[in-house]
Amino acid sequence: MPETTHDGARALEAFLVGVERRAFRIAQIALSHEADALDVVQDAMLQLSTRYASRPAEEWKPLFYRILQNRIRDVQRRRSVRNRVMALMPWRGEDEDDEIDPIAQAVDKSPLPPSQLEGDEMLQALEQALNELPQRQREAFLLRNFEGLDVAETAAAMKCSQGSVKTHYFRALQALRSKLGEFRS
Amino acid sequence: MTAEDEEAGSSQFEQRTRELLLTSADALPGSVRSRLTQARHAALSVHSTNQAPSLARRWMPAGAMAGVILALFVVLAPHGSSNNPGGPSMEDVDMLTDSEALPLTGDQDVDYDFYEWAAEEAAGASSPAVGS
Repeated sequence: MPETTHDGARALEAFLVGVERRAFRIAQIALSHEADALDVVQDAMLQLSTRYASRPAEEWKPLFYRILQNRIRDVQRRRSVRNRVMALMPWRGEDEDDEIDPIAQAVDKSPLPPSQLEGDEMLQALEQALNELPQRQREAFLLRNFEGLDVAETAAAMKCSQGSVKTHYFRALQALRSKLGEFRS
Repeated sequence: MTAEDEEAGSSQFEQRTRELLLTSADALPGSVRSRLTQARHAALSVHSTNQAPSLARRWMPAGAMAGVILALFVVLAPHGSSNNPGGPSMEDVDMLTDSEALPLTGDQDVDYDFYEWAAEEAAGASSPAVGS
């Protein structure tokens, strides 16, 4: 019995090592905040290990990403509520650090010329384009393209049908291509 | 652009975006990697705590089973004693609790004078009278 437990712990560790960086990037792209992204990844790891570690290892990935997406949505919801409450406060102008610079957040709708997209710039453009996608499209794209889940696993992670995954993914791909043009290889 | 060109362009685009994202994940700063490692260790320590059962948890099923067996024994034991002639049975209990039955004890209501008189009358009737 202890050997089985030890094997289970090792398998879980290997799984977490394998997904943690990509999970962090997915959370970071969705939340645009490093500390929040780290928090949601930690929550997802804890919840997987406490509640679902006894499930077969092949189920871990969709379960982990479902937890992660739920945590991301929780943070987004909290932010939304906080922003609405803060908007009602008369003294909100005092805390200027939390204010969003509208110029920095402005979206350039024109496709970026491929020649300008080099290295970090290309990554920044991709992240910005991903951030502007509707949430479900972004989830589908990142889980399928970045994490490499198949359609069935993505559907399990997103708690929707496989047809919906295909639709979200296709629309995300179209939107990204129209925004970014073609990346130069 | 044909459908095939479109498909090829899409797959090239997908490949390029995937490469970019994977590169960014591999190039995370040390502080982030350290925090992720800490988070992983925290999750694994919780996992190992959950997996190691405490003494009470380990014996809980045996205790529950023993309790069930004891309860069954207590409930079923009286029914089994009907085969035991020396012990109390359910019939005995019924008799003792039956209010319609004759009283087994207590004869305060018996009219002894009547019974004595009746006995004397019977004795007198059976023996011939002197001088008759």
